[in-house]
Amino acid sequence: MPVHVVGQFSCGLTILFVLASLCWVLLPYTGSTFSALVFLLAIVLAGTRWNRGPVLAMGVVSALVWNFIFIPPRFTLHIEKPEDVIMFGMFFVVALSMGHLITQLRERESALERTHREHEQLQEAKHRAELAAEAERLHRTLLDSVSHELKTPITIIRTALDGLGTANPFAAEIDTATRRLQRIVENFLEITRVESDAVKPAPDWCEFLDVIHSATSPLQRELLPHTLRIIVAENLPLLKLDNRLLSQALANVLQNATQHVPAGSEIEIHAALTPESALEIRVHDHGPGLPPEMEERVFEKFARAPGAPAGGTGLGLAISRGLMRAMKGDITVRNHPEGGAEFLLRIERVSQLVPSGSDSPQTPKTS
Amino acid sequence: MSKALIIDDEQQMRRLLRMLLESRGYEVCEANEGQHGLQEAAFHRPDVVLLDLGLPGLGGLEVLRRLREWSDVPVLILSVRDQEATKVQALEIGADDYVTKPFGSAELLARLNVIQRRRGPRHTPEIIAGPLKVDLLHHEAQIADEVLKLTPTEFALLKVLTEHAGRIVTQNQIVKQVWAGQSSDPSEGLRVHINHLRKKLGDRGIRIVNEPGIGYRLEAE
Repeated sequence: MPVHVVGQFSCGLTILFVLASLCWVLLPYTGSTFSALVFLLAIVLAGTRWNRGPVLAMGVVSALVWNFIFIPPRFTLHIEKPEDVIMFGMFFVVALSMGHLITQLRERESALERTHREHEQLQEAKHRAELAAEAERLHRTLLDSVSHELKTPITIIRTALDGLGTANPFAAEIDTATRRLQRIVENFLEITRVESDAVKPAPDWCEFLDVIHSATSPLQRELLPHTLRIIVAENLPLLKLDNRLLSQALANVLQNATQHVPAGSEIEIHAALTPESALEIRVHDHGPGLPPEMEERVFEKFARAPGAPAGGTGLGLAISRGLMRAMKGDITVRNHPEGGAEFLLRIERVSQLVPSGSDSPQTPKTS
Repeated sequence: MSKALIIDDEQQMRRLLRMLLESRGYEVCEANEGQHGLQEAAFHRPDVVLLDLGLPGLGGLEVLRRLREWSDVPVLILSVRDQEATKVQALEIGADDYVTKPFGSAELLARLNVIQRRRGPRHTPEIIAGPLKVDLLHHEAQIADEVLKLTPTEFALLKVLTEHAGRIVTQNQIVKQVWAGQSSDPSEGLRVHINHLRKKLGDRGIRIVNEPGIGYRLEAE
């Protein structure tokens, strides 16, 4: 039984005791009916605040006390006169039903209030969700329009440069700068998307070599001075993942590698599935590796290793980490024992599908 | 001489595209918004349309939908990145291909050429793309006169891709044509067969390139 209910029981008994004493003192002036009404009043008042148990107990006890003290013969539970028996019976019924009715009324009221409060909370939560959705929509619209506003002039410059031809060395410089500007704009937009959780992975079956192809084809220029070695486990099954996000994360790592290794050096991509069906992609370059204690910091925004060449935005690897984490994966880096940095992109529990040797049971449409 | 219609709200973009296309012998007309674009299309009967997806007012998709009600002129979509879903929608409404801003002129002109070559009634039962020959009469495909051993599904798949050689085909379009849309997990079946087909095509000048979130493009050297 809860403590406050015990408190109500004892409090109720105390009140009855006090009232009984008072009525005993006043008995010569008032008569026994007065004390019965006083008890009933106490029960009604108790009913407006207390639980049903203590109130009903007060009803029973007050009936007995009234009988014991105030109905002649006094100080016995025996009742002599028939009208007093009826009085006692009526008191008993009235006390119990009053207590019952009033507590029931109060319980209903509080239940009503509770549902009302819950309803209000629900409304509030719904309102908050609507506001959040609206904010997200606005954010996206803003991002889209900023993206459009920034990319249109770049497109125009690039198209105009194409018309001009890059035979003129000045035009070639503008071309290089425009590509750099384009990369910066794209990186800033992407980090904004990643940080505002606007990146929603849409996994679908894909061939891993398609991921490599999507990652390397926009980087043809940057990769040209380097030798790219792709070592993918034999017979890698089809994997269910978001090709676009993963290839972008990988592209940023490759882009970063091309900036930090001497021209002509080799960059290796190893990809394999672990026995726990995690996909691991390792990008190993043969550059100077990372300075000590940069292993974690390289993934921070605008983190730049001392002596890093100019031209990077300091965002590429932060975007990679954001994208990998959006896909429930992660990216880490270490210095390879044989020299150079080794990035590890890992996605846990990737669904796999081994393409069987035969035609699938799906029947082709006859043509 | 081909006639091209540019529908884009950016004046400078239109001017540049006009210069670029005119330098390649196109006759160019332009519109700065969708409704006007539709009128121009009806009036000038262009051979190819360059349509910006991000038009104010009547959006690019709606313009395309209305254009397709009466015209099958080849349409090239000009889009920005991260509009994958919209691009797929546009392709399935009937756009022929897309380029992503910022694009290079070479890419744009190449795509325009490819989409203008498409369609037209076929008079021979053969489709040719580079070294690849798909013989619809004998249900046979050859690369450099070597017959490929294909299953019926792979043949149907190769047929669809070769018909659209150089152009993007969305995943849905492939599934619709190869499996008549009846497949429990279309994506899965498609990847499996693309995987087999790629192995059989080997490294002989025909590549099936995947464009994430959109579909496939058969490229012949």
